[in-house]
Amino acid sequence: MDVLDLARLQFAVTGSLHFLFVVLTLGLAPLVAIMHTRFARTGSTLDERLTRFWGQIYVTNYALGIVTGIVMEFQFGLSWSGLTHYAGDVFGAPLALETLIAFFLESTFLGLWIFGWHRLPKWLHVATIWMVTLTAYASAFWIMVANSFLQHPAGAVGDGNVLRLDDFGALLTNPSLSMALPHVLSAGLTVGGFVVMSVSAYHLFRKTPDQALFSRSMRMGIWTAFVGTMAVVGFGFAQFGPVSGVQPDKFTDKPLAGAALGFMIMIGHLLQLAALLLVIVVKWAPRWRALHPLIIALTPLPFLAAVLGWIAREAGRQPWMIWDRLKVADAITPGLTSGQITLSFVGFVGVLSLLAVADYLLIVRIVRRGPHEIALGERPAPEPVLTY
Amino acid sequence: MDILWFAVLSLLLAGYFALEGFDLGVGLLLPVTPDRERAIGAIGPFVLANEVWLIAFAGVLFGAFPALETVLSANYAAVVLLLVSWVLRDAGLWFRRRLAVPALWEYAIALGSLGVCLAWGLILAGLAHFPAVVGLLYGLLIAALFVIHGRRFLAWRLTGGGSLLVTGALAAVPALVPLVGMAAEVVGNAAPSENLTMLTFMVLPFVPVMAGAQIWVWRAFAKGPLITYF
Repeated sequence: MDVLDLARLQFAVTGSLHFLFVVLTLGLAPLVAIMHTRFARTGSTLDERLTRFWGQIYVTNYALGIVTGIVMEFQFGLSWSGLTHYAGDVFGAPLALETLIAFFLESTFLGLWIFGWHRLPKWLHVATIWMVTLTAYASAFWIMVANSFLQHPAGAVGDGNVLRLDDFGALLTNPSLSMALPHVLSAGLTVGGFVVMSVSAYHLFRKTPDQALFSRSMRMGIWTAFVGTMAVVGFGFAQFGPVSGVQPDKFTDKPLAGAALGFMIMIGHLLQLAALLLVIVVKWAPRWRALHPLIIALTPLPFLAAVLGWIAREAGRQPWMIWDRLKVADAITPGLTSGQITLSFVGFVGVLSLLAVADYLLIVRIVRRGPHEIALGERPAPEPVLTY
Repeated sequence: MDILWFAVLSLLLAGYFALEGFDLGVGLLLPVTPDRERAIGAIGPFVLANEVWLIAFAGVLFGAFPALETVLSANYAAVVLLLVSWVLRDAGLWFRRRLAVPALWEYAIALGSLGVCLAWGLILAGLAHFPAVVGLLYGLLIAALFVIHGRRFLAWRLTGGGSLLVTGALAAVPALVPLVGMAAEVVGNAAPSENLTMLTFMVLPFVPVMAGAQIWVWRAFAKGPLITYF
């Protein structure tokens, strides 16, 4: 593989890893926020354990979302400085806004939420998890604005041999964005819904002591998956119109993009059908044990579909970095050596893959232990009293 | 407008050094800290709020000074070291109480913190085209300042008393020196003024929320029992 291939593979692998964690973050955040709000209202132990159990999974998943995200952001400067050189005046704006008015707040409020148990006033503590949710969605918005610019450089004009931002509004109303953003957000709800129902199914099937708790979260998961799959499929098909307008040969001339798209649609329909059937029997599903292994078996599918979706969107953009304007081959950092890209490839892909595996093992362990020993929201041990 | 965004850029990097400085300093000290539980408990609630200053710095660099993004590729190996070390430090915090043995992850935190300091030395000295050995020395200086700041932070948080301002200001100096030295070059590479105006209008309404959230972290976690999530 040459330097260009390695740089592309590095971005594709780190990006896919990043999204595996981000997509669950997007789906779980509103669910945890709803659980926490209910706990604040009722004060019931069941609601508290539900919030802390799912909150712990959410936070553990988030850890990898942050570290993979850090690597994503800096990769633009490391390996793709040709993109910045040509279009930095346009592409940099949404990235700057994402870090300042979305991620900066998301991380700060998440810290307040994690460490704020038994410390912050009850409703202010609830407000922090809603701020985390809101800013996570804002983050998705700005990243999708940046990505949509690569698909269709709206709002920019050529000025000599670079692009300049001409119309910020056009950047935000990009036809590549309007249906893709809700598609991504509802993919998050789909993943979140299926994960919540599958973890609940595991505990219900094993007849662990928390039947009431997991019956409730299974119903919540089924409804979320139902809303998510209906929206993700709807907004998915709604993209074909705008995409064919701005990228006419996106899926027809690129075999990888077409195949990824086909598989994703197949999985999408399967999950939609599953969610539809489950929502019909939502009342009885927690007690219907024969169903539970089937639900568990579905868990990897929404994650797979999410990654396939990105492969379709990005492979369909090739050979362009910015559609019709800048080739990927011209966007790579001039003079990037194979030694450099090998170093970063081993560092980023190697370390992040290992950590991703470790993180999933940890999530599985939290799931298995169930809502008993949850570190999140534990009462702090009393400070030792000084005696003389 | 370019002066304003240069000030924002400088504030974010200096703030990162002053705030994340004590987290990294405590990380560097871990192998010789008798009560690691309390040390990590002390920095825990601040880490997430502190490390985002650097992400915001990178965002402002991309948005307001995109032409300067080449400093990253010009210091390729050092930036890779920075990122891998940062990731290792964070992973150490998240996994310490949960996977394998805590000592393993505590060494990851210390090693990661050291890697971040050395990488900063290499990057900042690289900007002025100093050789790598000067960069490593600069990195050791940064590490020493962070250790002083980290010790001060632990004393302030665990036993109370004193102030963090002096050691915090000292920790920020290694970032401010190259920024001041390169001020003219940075300002000269600013994005077009229409971009900067747009960014200003977009970000300004959120500044009170950003400042408020950061202040809230300090108000909430400066005192009281330690919360040992990490």
